[in-house]
Amino acid sequence: MYRYDAIDREFLADRAAEFRGQVARRLAGELTEDQFQPLRLMNGLYLQLHAYMLRVAIPYGSLDSRQLRRLAHIARTWDKGYGHFTTRQNIQFNWIKLGDAPAILDALAEVDLHAIQTSGNCIRNVTADPYAGATAEEIDDPRVWSEVIRQWSTLHPEFSFLPRKFKFAVTASAKDRTAARVHDIGLVLRRARDGSLGFEVIVGGGQGRTPYVGPTIREHLPVGSLLSYLQAILRVYNRHGRRDNKYKARIKILVAALGKDEFARQVEEEWSRIDTPLADLPDTELARIRGAFTPLTFETLPARSEAFEAAKAASPALARFARNNVKPHKKAGYAIVEISLKAHDATPGDASADQMDLVADLAGRYGLDDVRVTHEQNLVLPHVKLDDLPAVHAALAGAGLATPNIGLISDIIACPGLDYCALANARAIPIAQAIAQRFEDADRAELIGELKIKISGCINACGHHHVGNIGILGVDKKGEEFYQLSLGGSGQEDASLAQILGPGMSADKVPDAVEALVETYLNVRQGEERFLDTVRRLGMAPFKEAVYADAH
Amino acid sequence: MKALTANRLIDGEVVFWQAGDWIERFAEAQFFADDDAAGPEAVETAKAQPTVIVEPYLIDIVEAPGGFAPVSYRERLRALGPTNEPTHGKQAEGGAGVEAILAATGAARSTGRVDLIRRK
Amino acid sequence: MPTLIRLQGGVYSPAEDVFTDVADEDAIPAAGPVILSMTRFQAEGDALIGAGRQVGVRVQADEAVEDLAYDLPRLAVVAVVFPKYRDGRGYTSATLLRQRLGYAGEVRAVGDVLREQAGFMVRCGIDAFAAADGSTAEDWAAAAGRFRHVYQRAADARAPVFEARG
Repeated sequence: MYRYDAIDREFLADRAAEFRGQVARRLAGELTEDQFQPLRLMNGLYLQLHAYMLRVAIPYGSLDSRQLRRLAHIARTWDKGYGHFTTRQNIQFNWIKLGDAPAILDALAEVDLHAIQTSGNCIRNVTADPYAGATAEEIDDPRVWSEVIRQWSTLHPEFSFLPRKFKFAVTASAKDRTAARVHDIGLVLRRARDGSLGFEVIVGGGQGRTPYVGPTIREHLPVGSLLSYLQAILRVYNRHGRRDNKYKARIKILVAALGKDEFARQVEEEWSRIDTPLADLPDTELARIRGAFTPLTFETLPARSEAFEAAKAASPALARFARNNVKPHKKAGYAIVEISLKAHDATPGDASADQMDLVADLAGRYGLDDVRVTHEQNLVLPHVKLDDLPAVHAALAGAGLATPNIGLISDIIACPGLDYCALANARAIPIAQAIAQRFEDADRAELIGELKIKISGCINACGHHHVGNIGILGVDKKGEEFYQLSLGGSGQEDASLAQILGPGMSADKVPDAVEALVETYLNVRQGEERFLDTVRRLGMAPFKEAVYADAH
Repeated sequence: MKALTANRLIDGEVVFWQAGDWIERFAEAQFFADDDAAGPEAVETAKAQPTVIVEPYLIDIVEAPGGFAPVSYRERLRALGPTNEPTHGKQAEGGAGVEAILAATGAARSTGRVDLIRRK
Repeated sequence: MPTLIRLQGGVYSPAEDVFTDVADEDAIPAAGPVILSMTRFQAEGDALIGAGRQVGVRVQADEAVEDLAYDLPRLAVVAVVFPKYRDGRGYTSATLLRQRLGYAGEVRAVGDVLREQAGFMVRCGIDAFAAADGSTAEDWAAAAGRFRHVYQRAADARAPVFEARG
């Protein structure tokens, strides 16, 4: 964890006090709703269908147990006992009262949490690899750079009223767990041949009604130049991004309109005029930020845990959990444990206050006090000893948190959809539940292997349907919910956009359609290829035929 | 037929107009005939209450088995609560009014809904 | 005479606005300081300055302040237009005026100018505010001074937290 000091804490206290004053002015009628709305949005407070929704930032998806317990406390005290983890590693509370919001921000600030810039046309909370600091794949810790961006972008005087929202993802691994190529800016840490550390800078990816896989505008930006280069990108965008149509205001539209090369040229030209020693952080500050992350002490352990192996042999459930939810750690004798928030009857991404408390307890007892949130709406204990896995698994199982389905067909991303969201056209949650229940058989799910289903309740694509191996988009057809399926998307390092399969269908037809897609895949797959690989090899035709055959 | 709805400023609760008051149950809302000038007049009155409610608008309603229901699916969800948590929101209370909305079949665009999407 | 809120030496105070803001379709008054559009300034600015008049330029959100580079030393004020509260282009215009073009005169925020923007505007180097929300100099002082710390360097003199920590 990055440890806040007195300065960071005073900043959060000032922010909470400012919002308390703004709420008071709104309630007294001194601010109109039009004036107040952008202010509450910049504190993560939306007015949804049934109540206000508060989106709390979880910077780069990283929490300690004290913070997670506080989120549980908020769920119990000011909500209905649960929260929803989002595709940008944040948490949303669905039943918030405006009058309570200032007290909630105070409660968050006490544990170094906040809701700053979780909405509005500003630089949003940074997404980072949830395995940061734990995976052997990474060449540097992306959290350090995410924290650099967090500080720089917090109430940035020049870039707080951009044409549209602006989202960063940072990763340092070859395997992308952040969807970097579909963010406004994706930063991928790489080493050059000479060993120097730099960023591949990807700009103008995104989903929504005009999806793009972002192009790379710079292959290797020296890490020390990060902030001046970001300033150049944001300045070009702030000046030239469209403001006449909110659906054309994201940076992806500017990059596409100018073309990647011209956009890059304008950025480089602006960058050449920036006083970079002033714009970039001094090396001493970079070192200070790196040093402000809690140092972790790992024990020296054998790579193999006899206790874990014996427990696996005795428990098929633990063995299955280990196959699907336990990932290799950089230190011998440790593992990364994914906690699925996708039980087959659950709301994807939802956790009850009791479940949050339990995960916080496990992190404190077995996990070096570290918890992560993934953009696939699950939780992670990044540092668990192999020896402790049986105990961790048993505790998770007791709380309904041991579903062994990470990366499998029932590990579905779904936005809140029309059950909660004022923008939605159709529900997403019941569709996810119906599919998960259809594929409840764990043996069959493992046989199918990696298959990512992503469901959005409207074209804004919060459920990432454009990058689903199977993407499902809810639409409104003459007042009825309808669902449009697409195939072949990926949000990972091999990013691609899904292609529409065919005409939309009613909700009750969706599980059958997914079933037909899966059966086709199982019949035609070659060797170890994933569903995505088969779709890429064969194209849409066999899948289309399978889904729509009955319609003829 | 139409009803007037909004969200209450202080807590975001879905509320309905009833003869000058804002009430929480759809079944108790005041219904206006489509050509009744009292509907648009109530909207104007509501707009003058910016410290009480947020963004009032009229929704279309239809007869349902045992009562009335909003026409659009979205407005039904606002009058009930989320379908994934049947114990949350107005639906938790149960009763004939809730049953009527749950029993309503078919859906169509309502003017209220179109308005709501456009102003976002 | 309309009033402005002016920031000088860290103090916010009300000030009389001596400039006439001249719309493109209006005649330029015979005497006194004026603010003109960029196009109008390019056509008529020289003559007015030559006649000893104080002249300022109004920069719209879609206009490039760089186009004023060579005229800046002669300008009494640059009025940066915020057409809507949510339109943030003016923050870049003001930043460039101060940081890149070295303009030392008055940079004034006009248009949809609310006290909620105070902190951002001041940090971008704006030092006069034509507030549209009826707010007072005291309101601006309170709003701009709300945060004890800032995280990044900007066009003002405030030290960012990493220098404070240093």
